[in-house]
Amino acid sequence: MEYFRSGLKSVLGTPQPGSQPTGAETVERLVNRVTSSTLLDDRRDACRALKALSRKFRLEVGAQGMDALLQILELDCTDCEIIGYALDALCNVTSRECFEEEEDRVNVNVGEQFTEMFVKNTGNVSTVLAFLEEYDFRVRWPAVKLLTSLLGSKPKEIQDIILVSPMGVSKLMDLLLENREVVRNDALLLLIQLTKSNANIQKIVAFENAFDRLFDVIREEGYTEGGIVVEDCLLLMLNLLKNNTSNINFFKEGSYVGKLAPMFQVPENVEEVGWSPQKVSNFHCVLQLVRCLVGPNNPVQMTSACQKAIRNANLLEALCNILMASGVPADILTETISTVGEVIRGNLANQEYFANVTAPSNPPRPAIVVLLMSMVNEKQPFHLRCAVLYCFQCFLFKNEITQLQVVQTLLPSSNAASLTTGQLLCSGLFSTDALSNWFSAVAISHCLIENPAQKEHLLHVLLAPNIGAQPVTLIHQMTTHLQQTLKFQAKISILMLLAMWMSHNQQAVQMFLSVPGSVAFLTAQTSADECDNNEELLQGLCAFLMGICVAFNDNTVQNYSRENLSQLIEKRVGIETYVSKLSLISRNEAYAKAAKQPQIKAKVSTDLLLEFEFCKLFKALESVIVNALGVQRDLSNGMSELSLTAHENALLLQYKELIREQDRRLQDMQKELTKSLDEKKHLLVQIDELKSANAQYKDENVIYKASFSNSNGADEKMKQLEAENCEKTSELEQLRKDQEDLLELLTDQDLKLNTFKNRLRELGENLEDSDNSDNDT
Amino acid sequence: MSYAYLFKYIIIGDTGVGKSCLLLQFTDKRFQPVHDLTIGVEFGARMITIDGKQIKLQIWDTAGQEAFRSITRSYYRGAAGALLVYDITRRETFSHLTTWLEDARQHSNSNMVIMLIGNKSDLESRREVKKEEGEAFAREHGLVFMETSAKTAANVEEAFINTAKEIYEKIQEGVFDINNEANGIKIGPQHSPTNPSLPGAGGKDGSQGGGCC
Ligand SMILES: Nc1nc2c(ncn2[C@@H]2O[C@H](COP(=O)(O)OP(=O)(O)OP(=O)(O)O)[C@@H](O)[C@H]2O)c(=O)[nH]1
Ligand SMILES: [Mg+2]
Repeated sequence: MEYFRSGLKSVLGTPQPGSQPTGAETVERLVNRVTSSTLLDDRRDACRALKALSRKFRLEVGAQGMDALLQILELDCTDCEIIGYALDALCNVTSRECFEEEEDRVNVNVGEQFTEMFVKNTGNVSTVLAFLEEYDFRVRWPAVKLLTSLLGSKPKEIQDIILVSPMGVSKLMDLLLENREVVRNDALLLLIQLTKSNANIQKIVAFENAFDRLFDVIREEGYTEGGIVVEDCLLLMLNLLKNNTSNINFFKEGSYVGKLAPMFQVPENVEEVGWSPQKVSNFHCVLQLVRCLVGPNNPVQMTSACQKAIRNANLLEALCNILMASGVPADILTETISTVGEVIRGNLANQEYFANVTAPSNPPRPAIVVLLMSMVNEKQPFHLRCAVLYCFQCFLFKNEITQLQVVQTLLPSSNAASLTTGQLLCSGLFSTDALSNWFSAVAISHCLIENPAQKEHLLHVLLAPNIGAQPVTLIHQMTTHLQQTLKFQAKISILMLLAMWMSHNQQAVQMFLSVPGSVAFLTAQTSADECDNNEELLQGLCAFLMGICVAFNDNTVQNYSRENLSQLIEKRVGIETYVSKLSLISRNEAYAKAAKQPQIKAKVSTDLLLEFEFCKLFKALESVIVNALGVQRDLSNGMSELSLTAHENALLLQYKELIREQDRRLQDMQKELTKSLDEKKHLLVQIDELKSANAQYKDENVIYKASFSNSNGADEKMKQLEAENCEKTSELEQLRKDQEDLLELLTDQDLKLNTFKNRLRELGENLEDSDNSDNDT
Repeated sequence: MSYAYLFKYIIIGDTGVGKSCLLLQFTDKRFQPVHDLTIGVEFGARMITIDGKQIKLQIWDTAGQEAFRSITRSYYRGAAGALLVYDITRRETFSHLTTWLEDARQHSNSNMVIMLIGNKSDLESRREVKKEEGEAFAREHGLVFMETSAKTAANVEEAFINTAKEIYEKIQEGVFDINNEANGIKIGPQHSPTNPSLPGAGGKDGSQGGGCC
């Protein structure tokens, strides 16, 4: 600070004691010097001082000095030092952050406003881009920082400018070859900002050999053991690959997958040295990157090509090693489990590889068994348990063999000596921990997807709930559990599993209907009044299962034939109520969340309600069920237009006409409604626009005020000076008058004196000559 | 899948001349009858063999629409080869060739091999540009020329492979500086003199025995 003050003094000259200039005055004086001084040295000094003030008096420097700084960039572009100062000052002025030393400005987005001023002339951005080509550190570094800062507040605008400026992206890419690390590292940050959600730029950056460059840097920095620079490199790669299939294809075709291999090397002594926070971050990014390549939302063809490449590069092996290693931090382990899941999802060879991975436990167990042990273990972290379920789902996805193998471990004949997936899932299904119920039910339901044979097999599963008691079927036990448990999550999960199992399987429906109390339970739930969200969901699911019992009913259970059940629904619930109960499922927010993606995305355990594959099933069956009920009703009412009398027919036609009329009106209303809604939306947008415009005007106002405040000060001073001037003139006038009076007096005196002198002479007095001579002239 | 060389190509020309179709025919051996307007740039790749050497082609198919011109220009500098395509059934696509060529010459490196392609040769009945005209234009501007059909696949392989041959010859003649990646050429990993061997990455083909020069 002292240095800064003395620096200022030397530029401004020592200020008069007692008259400290304000910030605005100082800035003004400096701006004047920058714009009007003919000496480069002088301009440079002033520019340096402006830079020094650009944090504390950011508003003033920005408002008064922006043009001057831009002028420097243009006219003094051959002097690296002054350009550096100007770029630095602009960087501070346009920064989005608030500086500590900055004078308090409440709630005004100054940086963004100045950025907007700066960007308004796209030529300014091109000028800064051009400075990137200057090798001098004093220019290149601040130019990089300025661009990064501009991108921070106006990403879209800057991206567009860079995209159309010739070789704009290439120039930025060349910065990755910088041998001065600070510049290279800041260039990385710049590229991260630049590539955010802009597919065109992402592709050009990839075309400009970004992956080669970045892997070079990562290798130099020591792979995942390296510092934050490695993380930045990986973040940039992630930007390039996220949702960009063209680049993912390029990444795969360019054999970059193999270059990820060294990232998975876990040092021998990792258990002693542990995982540093930086390594955790780096590794997290690597896992994200792998998931980018094989995400379930990518085109299937590409995903399977990437999965193959990952296996061939031995990355699947490396991932499984981490899965089984000890001392891996929980969040890394969780992410690794999900990553393994997506690497094997729907890929037979990879699923097979994973099936054969064994954990180094005693006795050795398949990795999948060890994972499932965690899933049904209450003490394990929630997110880890979710990841295991996801991984297990991926393991079963589009793989009839693994589905069969899992179901077989549930069957009585299976080898009871060793712990099996089946046993784990069964114990989870009926455990007292509702979450374990949920995980296990969903896991089992995934063995049944598009696999009628396994639905069949599962019917033969027998359980012995108590030692010595008669064994009961799985369906029986589940139905009993459904009626007895008080836990909401458990009920939901059993209903989902039953729905998956009984859909398209008449035998399962038959077995379910035979369990005492099953239909009574469903009817009671379906006909109950709704209360809260959860209750709604439960009632919806019960209605759905009841519908499945109608749609896939082979009429073999007495009292619960298709017809009986339909009548039951109609009498106890009413068709309209029933249909609205069904729709409660898809209207629940849990449905929207789960239907979005196969991966389980829950923040807290109570979020786990519906599941992706179940949502798909519901979507496919809802109309099937409603149709089945309608047809059934028509049949049992024996109603058909042919059997009606003429009178009845006329009546029917009348009603039909009425309905049509009502329908038309309904449609009209709906149209009007949508129109009004549109209008409302439009108005809201307008309001928003006006609001933001208003805010902008406010901000601008502050800046204008700042730039005017100084001239206001001058005005006041001027007035003051004028007043002083007036005062002084009148004083002067007064003095002049006084002087004249005095002169008059003086002549008077002189005259008198002479008369006296003459009189004296007449009286004979001898007077001195000197006096005489005076009078003679 | 290692390669001796990697060449970067771009495909340029007016919208609708069949650039994307040519690429699709070359990489997937398929034809796409509806015009799926390219937005910006799309990537494709394939391995070919020249002179017994594996060569990887990385191809950037650009959008022909004027609106994307500034974006697609970014790809000229780093390409070793360009397929400049017109549509033999639309004369205006032929008339625009001069502009395309100027643009390419201005923004690319001077050694870039340019292959002129008259596409849609299967539509003989609707032909508006004679084959001789294409040949003459190519001769005048020092380009290689070929008529193709992305629909029947006629000459499609040849177009891509002949361009590669041309580049390959230029490398043999020492015209291309293969160590400068900005030329759109890379040497395959196992051919590079400074091969940073990956620690522990169990390479499948243990044929890395050095000393065979
Ligand atoms: N008959 C015939 N039709 C073709 C041939 N090549 C392309 N087409 C058709 O021409 C139309 C345009 O083809 P595209 O490959 O999409 O055109 P493009 O050059 O990529 O166009 P932009 O992406 O807009 O630049 C499509 O309807 C194709 O089916 C060909 O060799 N023969
Ligand atoms: Mg296209």
